[in-house]
Amino acid sequence: MVTELKYEISQNAYIKLVLHALKHKTTAVNGVLLGRVNPQKENVVEILDSVPLFHSNLALLPPLEIALIMVEEHYGSEGLGIVGYFHANERFDDAELGILAKNIGDHICRYFPQAALLLLDNRKLEALPKGKDQSPMMQLYIRDASKNWKLVGPDAGSRLLIKEPAANIVLSDYIASEKWQDVVDFDDHLDDIKKDWLNPEFLK
Amino acid sequence: MISKTEESQLNRLENQVDNGGGGAWEYLCLVRKLKVRRSEKVLKHGLSILNDAKQRSALGPEEWTLYEQLALAAMDCHCPDVAKDCIKVLQKKFPESKRVGRLEGMLLEAKGSWAEAEKAYSSLLEDNPLDQVIHKRRVAMAKAQGNVSGAIEWLNKYLEIFMADHDAWRELAEIYVSLQMYKQAAFCYEELILSQPTVPLFHLAYADVLYTLSGLENLQTAKKYYASTIDLTGGRNTRALLGICLCTSAIAQLSKGRNKEDKESPELQSLAATALEKDYKQRASDKLSLLTSALRSLKI
Repeated sequence: MVTELKYEISQNAYIKLVLHALKHKTTAVNGVLLGRVNPQKENVVEILDSVPLFHSNLALLPPLEIALIMVEEHYGSEGLGIVGYFHANERFDDAELGILAKNIGDHICRYFPQAALLLLDNRKLEALPKGKDQSPMMQLYIRDASKNWKLVGPDAGSRLLIKEPAANIVLSDYIASEKWQDVVDFDDHLDDIKKDWLNPEFLK
Repeated sequence: MISKTEESQLNRLENQVDNGGGGAWEYLCLVRKLKVRRSEKVLKHGLSILNDAKQRSALGPEEWTLYEQLALAAMDCHCPDVAKDCIKVLQKKFPESKRVGRLEGMLLEAKGSWAEAEKAYSSLLEDNPLDQVIHKRRVAMAKAQGNVSGAIEWLNKYLEIFMADHDAWRELAEIYVSLQMYKQAAFCYEELILSQPTVPLFHLAYADVLYTLSGLENLQTAKKYYASTIDLTGGRNTRALLGICLCTSAIAQLSKGRNKEDKESPELQSLAATALEKDYKQRASDKLSLLTSALRSLKI
């Protein structure tokens, strides 16, 4: 029996993506997930970092191509690759995984077949301050045998985990202090190259 | 769409007000003038003016403008109660006003009462069939409800009447891009370039769309529009410079095995690459090696 794939996302990678979405509340945003297969556990994909990409015109190729080249170049030297994609829809009520996300996911799968798509769960995020939820504010999609992207059901809680259990508490604090203002994405970098999409000091 | 100077002026003022240095009203006026969307700040600072009797009376007749601006910002920040209070004040001062009527319609919209908002807008349009703001609210409502095809329909109808509304053309283009309808997006940018040929943003967006459409002809045209963007921005636009490199690479890929006549001269690409490397060296030196490898991978 094949053991199911699990995804473990680091607190920093997770928080960066959510804060990026909160910085740009009125538009869709996306980002890439960086990581590797756990060297000891073949069925676990470790998402160790993330790069917020764009907050406008997500479906245009040129900025995306440049971003992917640069991201892969940087993280490749650290032994990490692109292992997935994050997307947050423009509208609060929209919980559907759109075609763009699936296309990008398919592209990533060519190089990393176990790639995951993460979709921001707006309702869960809205409820965050009120609850003690430790699970990520995201939905997990993986490709099935027929290469269709499928939502990993209500037990996603056990297949997508945040490495640090207190991550949502940290996230809530950051939201309260409006830390999302400091997130830099690739769009920002292309508009002003002084801005660093690696966000090196961001969560220190 | 504001210039970099305008943006830094705005940010400076915003910082000043945020840190207690005064100038709140000046800030709100600038936001209005530049038509930017900074609703959380507007709400915060606008309310502080309103709650300070001295500041409020110093506004004189501008007070009503403040109420309107605040109402809009409150709706954007999901504070319908604040919006309602502001609108009530305006209703009292200007009964029967169409402008206030619009705000009432928008409040219904903000609350998600789509059908009622639609009724309010329709009746306002009966008296004012050429009210651009209300026509655009219809597009916004369709978009908010996830009815993208409806939004496109309304927006196209709007543009048949108000074809000089550049923001509307841009909005339509962006909607098309989000649906990956690139040919239609290209058409919108063509309209924009025709009517405003010296705005680099349109050349750049058009080039991006053409590149995404791909195909040899589109790539060659995209390269031309990246070049014109560089021309119009004095050689400073990172996106356009990178665009040249991407185009050259993609064209070379597609032209493999074709006639030598189609071969492009490599000058433009090396000029662009040099400009990029110079800029990165000066302003983002830690990323220079990434840029160099990226450019290398594009040269095939």
